[in-house]
Amino acid sequence: MKNVVLLTIDCLRKDVLGCYGNQDGLTPFLDSIAEKSIQFTKAQTVAPYTQASFPGILTSSYYFDHAKEEKQTERLSPKRTLLSEALKQAGMVTAAFHSNPYLGDYFGWNRGWDRFYDSMEEDVSPISPFIKGDGINQMVDKWLSSHIRGSDDRPFFLWTHYMDVHEPYIPKKEYLDTVAPSIDLSKEEMLELFEEVVLKRDVSSAETVNVLGKLYRAVVREADDHTRTFFDVLEQHGVLDESVVMITTDHGDEFGEHGSLSHNGKMYCELIDSPLLIYNYSPGKAQVCDTLVSGLDISPTLVHLLGLEPIENFQGHSLLPLEDYPQKGCYGEAIGKLGHRVKDTDQPVYFYRENDLKIIYRVEEDSWQMYDLQADPKEQNNIINTSPLSEEMKSKLSPRINRGHK
Amino acid sequence: MPKIELDPKRVEELEQKIEKSKEIFKMAYDRFDPDEMRLIWSGGKDSTLTLWICRQFCQENGLPLPKAFTIDEGDAFEEIDEFLEKYSEEWNVELDWGRNEDVLKAAGYELGAEVIVADLNERNQAEIKRIGFDLERFPFEAESYVGNHLMKTVVFNTYLEDNNVRAVFQGLRWDEQAARAKDEYYEDADAAELTPAHTRYRPILHFTERDIWDTTLYFDIPYCPLYEDGYRSLGAKTTSLKLDDLPAWEQDLENTEERGGRRQDKEKTMARLRMLGYM
Repeated sequence: MKNVVLLTIDCLRKDVLGCYGNQDGLTPFLDSIAEKSIQFTKAQTVAPYTQASFPGILTSSYYFDHAKEEKQTERLSPKRTLLSEALKQAGMVTAAFHSNPYLGDYFGWNRGWDRFYDSMEEDVSPISPFIKGDGINQMVDKWLSSHIRGSDDRPFFLWTHYMDVHEPYIPKKEYLDTVAPSIDLSKEEMLELFEEVVLKRDVSSAETVNVLGKLYRAVVREADDHTRTFFDVLEQHGVLDESVVMITTDHGDEFGEHGSLSHNGKMYCELIDSPLLIYNYSPGKAQVCDTLVSGLDISPTLVHLLGLEPIENFQGHSLLPLEDYPQKGCYGEAIGKLGHRVKDTDQPVYFYRENDLKIIYRVEEDSWQMYDLQADPKEQNNIINTSPLSEEMKSKLSPRINRGHK
Repeated sequence: MPKIELDPKRVEELEQKIEKSKEIFKMAYDRFDPDEMRLIWSGGKDSTLTLWICRQFCQENGLPLPKAFTIDEGDAFEEIDEFLEKYSEEWNVELDWGRNEDVLKAAGYELGAEVIVADLNERNQAEIKRIGFDLERFPFEAESYVGNHLMKTVVFNTYLEDNNVRAVFQGLRWDEQAARAKDEYYEDADAAELTPAHTRYRPILHFTERDIWDTTLYFDIPYCPLYEDGYRSLGAKTTSLKLDDLPAWEQDLENTEERGGRRQDKEKTMARLRMLGYM
């Protein structure tokens, strides 16, 4: 396939997609894409929030690999190889369009792109603190026009990232009316919910958390429509047929499942389980893959799809061809912060998953947890003290603890 | 002689765009009295074209021109001030200048100087609080989050209030930045805390950056000489950069960022993170 496209949707929980079993019809377009894709049912992000997760996706490395240096410089370490750098060097055209400040020019994510749009020059407001999918699509459209009209025939790597699902959850009225017709909040009231409830991680009212969940589902429905338009744009420019498109997220979002909201430094399934689709690998054919795979594997897969040699610095494995993918466990690491702000006293949290067992270690409390995801998919029943496998799992995660941090 | 040659089809296309803009002016004139309207004129290419079309519309219909309003954020290019002075006279446009004198005074009229919040008047203090800033002092920079608010938004709102302005014309364009993609030709801005109710008209929304330059050069509309030096978008003096030394219209307009020359600073990234709840 000539081009590769990566579409990441911030904060997108796996369990809101119809193709992963959700019954609410929130993602009709993504579901239709899944029917022509390889769908991974056990994909794991390497961390529960953007700064810790995206090094996995775009540099195939873990957050703490260079965290010490990055904390000082506030920039992505030059020791990490961005996928864009590797592909540009291989002669491809590279372009990025997104609106996440943590992935912007200021934090050093602009390396290796022929075209890098992070929207930081745009005027935004608290009610709409990022450029939405329609604006991002418009930029992609404009870029494709000039790329194709410029008769540049080189293959391209296009990365598009949507922020639409990220809080504040302020869906357009039409989407709210579709998903939750009983709710009639003004945008200002939704902003207030964000400021007074989400930011304060206040889960004291189950009813309010429920309302937030509905607003979230409405913005998911909205993002699905932006995805449809994104595919339309690719098709209009005649590049969809000759592109493989990978769709995934950097992490999910919590609605009280483990006592909080949004995305803290926790390693539970609502944050770590991710949707992962590879569209157009074998055109027209659908396939489901139940192997455990990691966010680290995304960049190596895109490299493989372009027929390039593996990049030395990348720690993941290409997911394709599926039969060559090594069975392995998945690791993740982040700061175990509660709330969005990282305090100096916050300590790391780590996880390791193998098959249906997940072990989590929090440094701050020196506490271990283990869950049997087969019997307890919502991770409510800690079996660390009862399972005969605890010691073995501990021994697999232990070597990663406290490496490189602080 | 036009400054550029265009094929007749293109000229016709531009003329249609100009006619479309006049329809927006007509909508405003049907609803408001000229005294209640203002044209926001920064001296940049977009608002100058807006004014040029407005003049044509008024001449064709025997209507008085609205007053123009420009905001001096305390960090302006001299070239823009000169341009505004020259053409307001030449075009017979009554031009009001607005500035936040209180903040300027507190900063000793010096960029980068520290402003002590307690030195500011009640209105400015309330505004700082309203945008979520909990500061005792901040450096005076026109394009920082707090500076932009005090030096532009507050000045704008105060001016509307003091002059009973009910409608404004803005030279915004859909393709200028993605945040504008969904803007409408007119919008009734309801009264909010500290903002008076007014209607915003955007007559040139449908012009692309290329349209602006083709129209400006073909119809010999004046423009600030900074564009000739390579500026694509003019903001505050200390934060606007040239992308290239070529005149704006000779640059790769389709493939580079019009506002790419505006400084990307830590402050902007931090303001975004703050809005998302991260700071």
